[in-house]
Amino acid sequence: MDGMSDGPKPDGNTAERFRAVVLPHLDAAYGFARWLTRDPMTAQDVAQEAMLRALRYFHAFRGGEARPWLLRIVRNTWIDLRSRNGSTDRPIEEAENRPADGPDPEQSALAADRRRQVAAALAALPAEVREILVLREIEDLSYKHIAAVLDLPIGTVMSRLARAREKLAAELGDRLGRRDHGLPDL
Amino acid sequence: MDCPTCEVMVDAYVDGELSATQSAEFEQALVLCPGCRRRLDAARELSGLLRSLPPEPVPDLLRARIERDLRAIVGPPRQRLRLSAMAASLIVALGIGWLGGSLLSQGSRQADELLAGYLRVAMSDHGVEVASSDRHTVKPWFAGRIDYAPPVHDLTAEGFPLLGGRVDLIDGRKAAVLVYRRNQHRVALTLWPASSTGNSEPSVAERDGFALVNWRHAGFDLHAVADLSPADMKSFAGAVNRAIDADR
Repeated sequence: MDGMSDGPKPDGNTAERFRAVVLPHLDAAYGFARWLTRDPMTAQDVAQEAMLRALRYFHAFRGGEARPWLLRIVRNTWIDLRSRNGSTDRPIEEAENRPADGPDPEQSALAADRRRQVAAALAALPAEVREILVLREIEDLSYKHIAAVLDLPIGTVMSRLARAREKLAAELGDRLGRRDHGLPDL
Repeated sequence: MDCPTCEVMVDAYVDGELSATQSAEFEQALVLCPGCRRRLDAARELSGLLRSLPPEPVPDLLRARIERDLRAIVGPPRQRLRLSAMAASLIVALGIGWLGGSLLSQGSRQADELLAGYLRVAMSDHGVEVASSDRHTVKPWFAGRIDYAPPVHDLTAEGFPLLGGRVDLIDGRKAAVLVYRRNQHRVALTLWPASSTGNSEPSVAERDGFALVNWRHAGFDLHAVADLSPADMKSFAGAVNRAIDADR
């Protein structure tokens, strides 16, 4: 940690605002970090450090939507962590195939299995493809907010998202067999 | 599939990014374009599949780590927990120490889990799973939930009324947690059968503004966590020991 040198030390009021405005988005931050890192322990480290950074930069937060603002910090934290460790995205084989563990509320084993396949297909995609799909479909961000998180023009968000969907469809098709799961050809 | 009109709009339409006018145009064009109809169905199905993935719950330990970071930097939230003056003065020093070293040794991992358990108890109105000051209600509640019978005593006479109990996971093992109150503060007492024999004196450690006291008594390893002064923690441990001894 490099201290709180980037801004004034948060006072009690700032802290209360931070708790009210940013902390409720910890679920989103951790969820995004899970998909970025594909590792629960690293995701915890990323989410924790991102929260600390968010508190440090909070004086510069000018209102608006806190969730995209926080997710951008999560992503930058993850990028920094990766470059610090000198590692790149892990290859597919090592990636955790089942990020969604634990009790499944859905009764149907078939549906549960399909969800596992979807999760595995998503986890197998390169980070650049994965992140935009997660932001759009799982975090449900608008193009404008995705553009803010990824620091891209909206036009690039649109083209990258379209390509990402094609890649996921192909990956899923390979896993499930295109005819079986009823996904029409793209 | 030769369709310059609607092809580029499929994604934006699925994502709800088209204006009402654009949406109407798209829907009109779609009628004449089976290729784009298929693209639309595929995009919708893919979106539905991704949205059906269950969310990842935030681990309690992560919540506890972040909570402690916040406390170390700015102090506890107002109106919820009031730290004793002594604990508050220790927050800064210990908090910074903790931020400096992030790798957890085995012992400190256990302390982390105990602290996480304490924060669940202290920060939430649902911190106990069985809420009762009656030991004859709390003690039987643990039967079948954990594989040992913890000694349960109400310590109201000693200034620590029993609030109830819960089960936490410590080092991958289910452990009994008894929750007590001291004025506005809560005390979490986690205990399990001792791994070695003999008694040991309560030793108080400070961690991020919280006091942890560990000791061994009457065949149990006992760990208490609270935002109380070390003196209060020692008197709590003493009260627990006396109650256990009186029962034997």
